[in-house]
Amino acid sequence: MTTQAYFRPRSLVEALGLLDEHGPAMLVMAGGTLAMPLINKGVSRPEKVMGLRQAGLDYVRQVDGGVHIGAATPLSKVRADSGIPLLAEAVKNVAGWAVQNVGTAGGNLFAPPPAGDFAVALLALDAQVKISSIRRGERLVPLFEFFTGFLTNCLEPDELVVEIQVPKPVGKSVLLKYGRLYTNTPAIVSVAVSLVTENGRVRSARVALNAVGPHPFRSRQAEAALTGSLLDAVAIETASKAAAAECEPYTDPIASADYRRKMAGVFVQRALTHAAN
Amino acid sequence: MASTIITFTLNGRETEVMVKPLTTLAKALREKLGFTATKCGCYEGNCGSCTVIVNGEPVLSCILPVEEVEGQNVLTLEGITPAEGLHPLQQAFHENFATQCGFCTPGMLMISKALLDKNPHPTENEIAEALSGNLCRCTGYDPIIAAVQQVAAAPNGNQGGTHE
Repeated sequence: MTTQAYFRPRSLVEALGLLDEHGPAMLVMAGGTLAMPLINKGVSRPEKVMGLRQAGLDYVRQVDGGVHIGAATPLSKVRADSGIPLLAEAVKNVAGWAVQNVGTAGGNLFAPPPAGDFAVALLALDAQVKISSIRRGERLVPLFEFFTGFLTNCLEPDELVVEIQVPKPVGKSVLLKYGRLYTNTPAIVSVAVSLVTENGRVRSARVALNAVGPHPFRSRQAEAALTGSLLDAVAIETASKAAAAECEPYTDPIASADYRRKMAGVFVQRALTHAAN
Repeated sequence: MASTIITFTLNGRETEVMVKPLTTLAKALREKLGFTATKCGCYEGNCGSCTVIVNGEPVLSCILPVEEVEGQNVLTLEGITPAEGLHPLQQAFHENFATQCGFCTPGMLMISKALLDKNPHPTENEIAEALSGNLCRCTGYDPIIAAVQQVAAAPNGNQGGTHE
């Protein structure tokens, strides 16, 4: 079956109305960098498709306390306009230039690992996702609660991700992506850490990883190991081991599960060491 | 939904194309409009051979619904090739043996053109990063990078494109 209708709503209200009307029979896409390959290859044969480019969700707004990014904002615009170096670094590592121009901040949340690296920066910065439904209104969900499994999330069928809210970064943050190439490469592991220290002790820590589990996640064990401790080599070693243990890595043509787990530890250690210095 | 007519500017000229829903720009260019310089390698956004320039930005035409370029400015390789002779980038690719089987070349030329338009004097790393979404399985990339560097180094080297 070929696609019978391609809807291009001109506002969020129109988009939510279409979703309410057509339900799960309609495929929702923003830039299309995930959906179009599947449609081209016939893996996905949606009867109806909705594209969100014109729906008023393409913006980067500096607000009190942070940045609000429209879900359909191209990643290249996030890279240029967010004013947050960690986000720019994360986008730099997502695919090539032509894909960054089309792929979106919200859409990247739906990319299965090892893709979807943008989320590690968002997790490390404690971003929230604004979700909207025409019947039930809006809700804000911390990004770490958004992901529920491989290709699954907390969205209800009538809901759309409409915005990502990123608080102004505090403390130090570092993002490292390890792949086989210098750039535009699938991750063996991606790591982002964010640390706030006080008198040499860690007041708060966030350690986020991707490509070593069913979805981007925060290593709570590593964070617990760091919080309250001196940021020394021993604490960093303990936290990296905890992060490696918490991974649920998989084997694919890029790397084996064992290697991924090992590298998760190594790169958490490097990221924390960077952040400590 | 029946076919619709999409209007956009293609290489400086108002163009209309009648398409079924969700037809890609690459398909419209190649199969409906006869603009076959744009190549489709992977149909999934990995290889870059379908790169065209929309409003000055490189995009992949094989994963872009043509409905999305309604009213926009699309530039393909046909649009930068002069009626006589070659665009400086084409000339440099030729001189540096930057093309072998030639399948990636249209995409390589378009991404290089987009790069030099934004950054007339890129470093080698900037060129490599810009080209990283375009696969070439023949040349090993060095001659392609050398060709882009040659154009970047030439006086007025970036000029010569039509319909910009």
